[in-house]
Amino acid sequence: MYNFLYMSEQVHNRLAVIRAERSVSRKQLAEAVGAHYQTIGHIERGQYNPSLDLALRIAEYFELPVEVLFALRPFRPLSDELYGPQGHGNARDRQDSADRGAR
Amino acid sequence: MTQPTTERAFGDAKKATTYDRAVFRVMNDAAVRPAFATAGRRRAVVGAHAALTVATLTCTSLLYVRDTAWLVAPLAVLLVLWVVATGTLNGGTRGLLELRTRMLDERQRADRDRAGAVAHRAATALLAAAAGVFVLAEAVGADGLPGVPAVWVLVYALATVWLMPLWVAGLQARDEPADDFSDDFADEFQDGAADGAG
Repeated sequence: MYNFLYMSEQVHNRLAVIRAERSVSRKQLAEAVGAHYQTIGHIERGQYNPSLDLALRIAEYFELPVEVLFALRPFRPLSDELYGPQGHGNARDRQDSADRGAR
Repeated sequence: MTQPTTERAFGDAKKATTYDRAVFRVMNDAAVRPAFATAGRRRAVVGAHAALTVATLTCTSLLYVRDTAWLVAPLAVLLVLWVVATGTLNGGTRGLLELRTRMLDERQRADRDRAGAVAHRAATALLAAAAGVFVLAEAVGADGLPGVPAVWVLVYALATVWLMPLWVAGLQARDEPADDFSDDFADEFQDGAADGAG
């Protein structure tokens, strides 16, 4: 009955990684999505969960699906997802990663 | 890191007036960042502001009751210090309680609402405790209790209700996200691209 009280409030994100990869500053991202630059920092540190509206705007800015940036479960390192845990590609791992992102 | 601007493409920030932009810039001045860098410093700033508020109000009430001219001098000094401390608090909270709602984003609005809720509880508890002391003292017939005019009770209550959200917001403020390489790198990258294009 009270399951909603025990749901995870932690939304994981890989915003910092994507932002660094695209060489986008917090200020640039903040201005593009209509947020304060501190808010971007708080999201990256997991101290603030963005609204669906803001999450979608961030995803739109990077032209990525929102589940690539935000997920309810911790992300694996991008290198693992691309090349597998041992450094070589694994089709099953990539499929698992995509499935988890979709969840 | 460069200063934030108000060039927001979404929400009510599009309706920002010149005044809104000016206040936004003042409230986001990087000069106060060191004073708000750690939880300890934030507590110290809030404590100093609360102490200055009490001292200023006490000095004002003494000046009113005793009508002593020399009290004007310390009152002037206290007022200047209080204004500086208030500016530091407002700058440290990035104008959470000073900026209009349209100049705040969703996280800041949530922070402001949370500070307001906590401040309401804290002010209520403080005023209830003060009222309880007075009622109790009246009930037991304490002679030592000074007679306080109702106007000063109201002034102190007003100051508490007015400033409590600012104190709570100051205490609830979190550490500034560390400067990351991409802020500098992105600026350099853009400068380099502009040079290359030129």
